[in-house]
Amino acid sequence: MAQLKTVLTGYTAYRGREGQAAFLLHRICGLGVVLFLTIHILDTATVYFIPALYKEAIALYRSPLFGIGEIFLIFCVLYHGANGLRIAFFDLAAPRLWTIPSQRRSFWITLGVALALWLPAALVMIIRILAG
Amino acid sequence: MNTNPSLPGSTGKIETIAWVAMRISGIALVLLLFGHVLIQDVLVGVQRIDIDYVAGRWASPFWRIYDFLLLALAFTHGMNGLRRVLNDYIHPPRSRRLLNGLLLGFWLVVTLIGGIAIIGGVRSVP
Repeated sequence: MAQLKTVLTGYTAYRGREGQAAFLLHRICGLGVVLFLTIHILDTATVYFIPALYKEAIALYRSPLFGIGEIFLIFCVLYHGANGLRIAFFDLAAPRLWTIPSQRRSFWITLGVALALWLPAALVMIIRILAG
Repeated sequence: MNTNPSLPGSTGKIETIAWVAMRISGIALVLLLFGHVLIQDVLVGVQRIDIDYVAGRWASPFWRIYDFLLLALAFTHGMNGLRRVLNDYIHPPRSRRLLNGLLLGFWLVVTLIGGIAIIGGVRSVP
């Protein structure tokens, strides 16, 4: 517990700017996606194991609350994917680019790409929620 | 410099393989998962998804293989990511071994459940 406190205060006190933001966002989004993924594998598996239950699971996803959660989930997928590509590119193709200036620049590009993909998707989904 | 972090007390070789595998599977997942999200969440939407929709989709071997790849790559990538995150905060070797064992078991059980469902396909509602 004391260690968790050290971690959390470290995350808020450390001024790592873009690099730290990229790391924290990647981690939070990744954990969010894997949490939903686990639930999603199990709910989809009901089509084979307990077919009558699939309707109940989908009914839950059709609620507005889950609809809003789904929009954030899509952001997490897009950001984690875009930032993951950035990491893979630097690590596998250009490790000499792991410098603070290029990290900072590339983080903004990554965030821009994620937002550019997310905003139209979010718009479609919000309209669908409002239409009911 | 790269971000390869061989964990102290673990076999470096396995961690290096895992490190490369995270990047390769990550690149593949961008294609597979962005496609999945675009089709299911944005274009189709959960309001139009039901068990008949899943049955129709899985009637095509292409989508079955697609979903199987997605399941295998995404859940393995996710569980290894979760392991890496937890290893950042949990340091005693015994706790790590216990955690790794639990995660491996969880990964196996959930992957089997998902895999059996994709191979078995949709069964009609009684």
